[in-house]
Amino acid sequence: MTTERAIWDALEKVKDPEIPAVSVVEMGMIKEVDVRGGRARVVILPTFTGCPAIAVIEQDVREAVGSVTGVEGAEVEMSYDPPWTADRITPKGRRELKAFGLAPPTGNGPVLVTSIGLPKTALCPFCGSSDTRNENPFGPTPCRALYYCSSCRNPFEQFKDV
Amino acid sequence: MSDILAAILIALADDELIIGHRHSEWTGFAPHMEEDVAFSSIAQDEIGHASAYYSLASTMVGQTPDQLAFGREPGEYHNAVLCERPNGDWAYTLARHWLYDNADALRLEALERSSRPELALLAAKIRREERWHSLHAELWVKRVAEGSVEGRGKLLHALAEAFAEVRGLFEPFDNEERAIAQGWLTVPSPVLGARFVETTTAALDDLGLPVEIEPGAITTELIASSSGDLIATDEESASITPAGGGLGGRYGRHSDDFKALWAAMTATYKIEPEATW
Repeated sequence: MTTERAIWDALEKVKDPEIPAVSVVEMGMIKEVDVRGGRARVVILPTFTGCPAIAVIEQDVREAVGSVTGVEGAEVEMSYDPPWTADRITPKGRRELKAFGLAPPTGNGPVLVTSIGLPKTALCPFCGSSDTRNENPFGPTPCRALYYCSSCRNPFEQFKDV
Repeated sequence: MSDILAAILIALADDELIIGHRHSEWTGFAPHMEEDVAFSSIAQDEIGHASAYYSLASTMVGQTPDQLAFGREPGEYHNAVLCERPNGDWAYTLARHWLYDNADALRLEALERSSRPELALLAAKIRREERWHSLHAELWVKRVAEGSVEGRGKLLHALAEAFAEVRGLFEPFDNEERAIAQGWLTVPSPVLGARFVETTTAALDDLGLPVEIEPGAITTELIASSSGDLIATDEESASITPAGGGLGGRYGRHSDDFKALWAAMTATYKIEPEATW
């Protein structure tokens, strides 16, 4: 296995502390991994600028990469190029969000800034119903909106399109 | 030259930090729980944006983002006066939120075309997040505008009051013409201000809110009486032209409201400025 492959595997174990079910790789937050002569460089795309989890993620990524055999030094960078968009979440990541009880974002492609907003329908992650209503475009973290499912009568959260 | 850009970044950050601080004052106190959550999230976003702007500036001025955010004297903050005003009532909170986020959207659109790639990229990212703030503000302004006569009257007054100081957001930055010449800024602040008046007038018209906007003066066609009924302008008119018109913030001239905010905001930092968290 190449060192680069081993780093990607190690990153699969780094989770967003606020969404411990999904790795930073599945969240589409890893822009690139680069290894040159034992020096590893990882570029992270933050989901939200003000996300307090970012500092923790940066630290966790540095430790995970640093512990990979063959890596002598790890450099972690933050980038807004391109801006992280919800379509970067992988199909596996979407399934994991749903299993965690968080409705995944709906965007399938890079969303235009002017079309960012609440989806017309958010599917309940518990029962799959589309008979849901938005209660609040903001939730317990800046990346989540609050919904209520009229079918199974559960409140749930949706990862916002951004 | 990088000092000029750093000063502009710090002024942008100051607007976001101070409005974010005001929004955070609703945490635990908003009129209902959903809004407690919403304003807390919006505050977290704004303070995060401030942190990102301070981080860009920090390498240019050799100070940490925390030193920039909390280690300056009141006269060294360059936020617009509008951002520092107390939340007042719910109507003023919504009116300012709506006006500020409309103004910020126009500013970010212009910053996205900056010749400084790090600023252009950051602005593009922030703009996507700010969309949610605008949607939140629009939802509430529309809800109140179409609601009870009393609420509508309060909103009209609050809009007139906030609008009277909105020019401070479009007060030119220090050395703005040099930043424009370099392409760091792409639209002069007064031009953005004119665009803002145009789009806001159209939006108010769509909402059926009769707030007339004139340069330097704000008048409302309808005002609320003490019973909450609307009174037409031919009977009585409200004309609000406060001295200063919200100007001066970009040059470090602030209201007394700012001094109280600054004292609270920097209290923890001052106990142990070198502390790491």
